[in-house]
Amino acid sequence: MNFKERILTTLNHEEPDQIPVMGLIMDPSTVSQVTGKSATNIVNFLDKPVLGKVAKGLVNTNWFWNRMYYGNFALAMESSIQLGFDANWSIYALMKLYEDPASTLGTAMHDAYGRVWEMGTNDRGDLSVDYSRALCPTEAEWEAWVDAKAPLFDQLVKNATGFHKKLADKYSHRIMPIGYAAPGIFENSWQAIGFVNFTKLVYENPEFVKRVVAFQTDLYLRYLEGVMDSGVEVVLGGDDLGQKTGPLMRPALIDKFFGESYRRVAELVHSRGRKFIFHSCGKIYQFLDMFIDWGFDGIITMEPTADMDLARVREQVGHKLALVGNLDVSHLLVRGSHKEVDQAVRDAIRAAGPGGGYILSAAHSHPYVDATRLQWMVEAAHEHGRYPLQG
Amino acid sequence: MSAQEMEKLKEALLDLNKAGVLEVVSATATTADLQAAKLAVEAIAGALQVVGKRFQEGEWFLDELVYSGEIAKQAMEKLSPILCDETQPTQGCVVIGTVFGDLHDLGKDIFINFATSAGFKVIDLGVNVSVEAFTKAVLEHQPVALGISCLLTPAAGGIPQVIQDLVEKGVRESLKIIVGGAALTEKFSLEVGADAFAPDAVTGTDIIRAWSEGQ
Ligand code: B1M
Repeated sequence: MNFKERILTTLNHEEPDQIPVMGLIMDPSTVSQVTGKSATNIVNFLDKPVLGKVAKGLVNTNWFWNRMYYGNFALAMESSIQLGFDANWSIYALMKLYEDPASTLGTAMHDAYGRVWEMGTNDRGDLSVDYSRALCPTEAEWEAWVDAKAPLFDQLVKNATGFHKKLADKYSHRIMPIGYAAPGIFENSWQAIGFVNFTKLVYENPEFVKRVVAFQTDLYLRYLEGVMDSGVEVVLGGDDLGQKTGPLMRPALIDKFFGESYRRVAELVHSRGRKFIFHSCGKIYQFLDMFIDWGFDGIITMEPTADMDLARVREQVGHKLALVGNLDVSHLLVRGSHKEVDQAVRDAIRAAGPGGGYILSAAHSHPYVDATRLQWMVEAAHEHGRYPLQG
Repeated sequence: MSAQEMEKLKEALLDLNKAGVLEVVSATATTADLQAAKLAVEAIAGALQVVGKRFQEGEWFLDELVYSGEIAKQAMEKLSPILCDETQPTQGCVVIGTVFGDLHDLGKDIFINFATSAGFKVIDLGVNVSVEAFTKAVLEHQPVALGISCLLTPAAGGIPQVIQDLVEKGVRESLKIIVGGAALTEKFSLEVGADAFAPDAVTGTDIIRAWSEGQ
């Protein structure tokens, strides 16, 4: 079986030749560890008087942004291939640089949805770009934002389609690119407004919240169409619905405000003959039955530090959901020993591998996920993951 | 404030009935009666204890924790002109921030709401806070406690750096340090020199309250 058959077979809950392994590689830090090449670090340029001005101008042009973004993900794909993964995710984002006195560098990225992303470099000198704040804390600001940004939303969908297509065209004969349509409807709804404000609005102005969700749902469905137009065969959707000890919001409220949207997402993906896997961090046992009900095909993450136990998940959902992930990124894939990684892979395979329906992967990505540990993870999967599984 | 009014205030908060809570505290605020305001704070703090328990037991969810905290915050704002009478000591000052490299703020903000509602003056340094900024704020505000939040393993190494800097500046001895967040464990927290680890905001508030009252 090749990597593609392996992934598709397991997603159909049949046993492939061996447990497939998926990379969640995107962080420049991990990429530079594997390839020896550093990703473009624009933070270094921004500080320089003349070069900085030129860099800011360049980053805000569509062609340069897309080129830089694609370049980083192409390196992530190369790294995943080198490490022996069967698949890797690919995520597109559209951001513009703005003077932003409230940010640490005085300059920050603003995305199309209304989020601020702080740029920085970690202690290894690699670029990091992370969500930090909301730009539309009130109803009026949100309405004004979406009115003003209509052309940007079209651009976003167009760029994302092109980005995923270019990656799929270039890499799908060597690895399976999994198109990650992220952030999802829940995150796009709350992160432009801020969690605290959004929560207040859920209780005090539910009609506005419904409007936000309807807007984000339509945009997300367009975005998903674009990702699928690129040719990718498996789609990930991303929304963190959980935190360490349980749901981020009462599950009944999530179902009330977002359930219909998620159903539409699953229907759309299925109407195009594809599978939909849902990413959510945190402790999410209470959502598993909803995921099945909404029509999802699988879930990715199952964070062990949030008490997500693969065997328990499998017991709860049976083979109604494919499972992806679960290898810890707090200790195991950061500084775990070879023996620990090997044991964790065996445990995961034993818990979720029988009957197919399991793809081994890290629970998440962050800059300190160590490439050597990822390599051990792949090797252990090859060693212990051959079907029929032993003991 | 009568026992009945205190009960009404507590119930309103536990029903997430913001209008009900604000009605009671507004009435209290107009009397400018310090004793009544203190009883209102007691009722709010009591309700938040119940909220915290419900959250810990999985009966309530994060949205309810956040929203009850927000209602409590607004109630405290109404009462603060009476409570801030200079002659009255508050619980003291707490400096809080999320460690450098980490931009997660939900847990920190919930802790701030609970600490504020318990009568603390909170200096919020925000997220991605450098070692220097933590130390500078401690020197400037002389807090009862310093709170550090951390959800990312890669950022956790920043906590001992903050503590080390406070030692070097000679202010560690006079200060209690509390840490919390998904990346941390009690073992790690104590090993790196914090005085306490808070698994949640309610426990965290209880800990700093005990420190403040023990002073
Ligand atoms: C001072 O005294 C105190 C006292 C008590 C204190 C305290 C301080 N601080 C907290 N407490 C305590 O009281 C609170 C209430 O009782 C509790 O606070 P918590 O903060 O624990 O809980 C909050 C109330 C709710 N919980 C949360 O807000 C965190 C939930 C999860 C799902 C999470 C979220 C929501 C987010 N994230 Co992030 N995120 C995850 C989280 C999964 C998890 N297991 O928690 C975690 C933390 N994230 C992770 C990662 C990897 C990342 N995240 C990132 C981004 C994000 C979002 C922007 C999407 C969003 C944050 C939004 C925001 N403004 O905060 C990135 C990093 C950004 C950065 N540099 O900070 C990114 C690196 C992802 C990426 N590759 O881009 C993981 C960290 C893994 C690790 N061990 O390092 C993670 C555990 C998820 C996972 N699947 O593994 C207690 O801990």
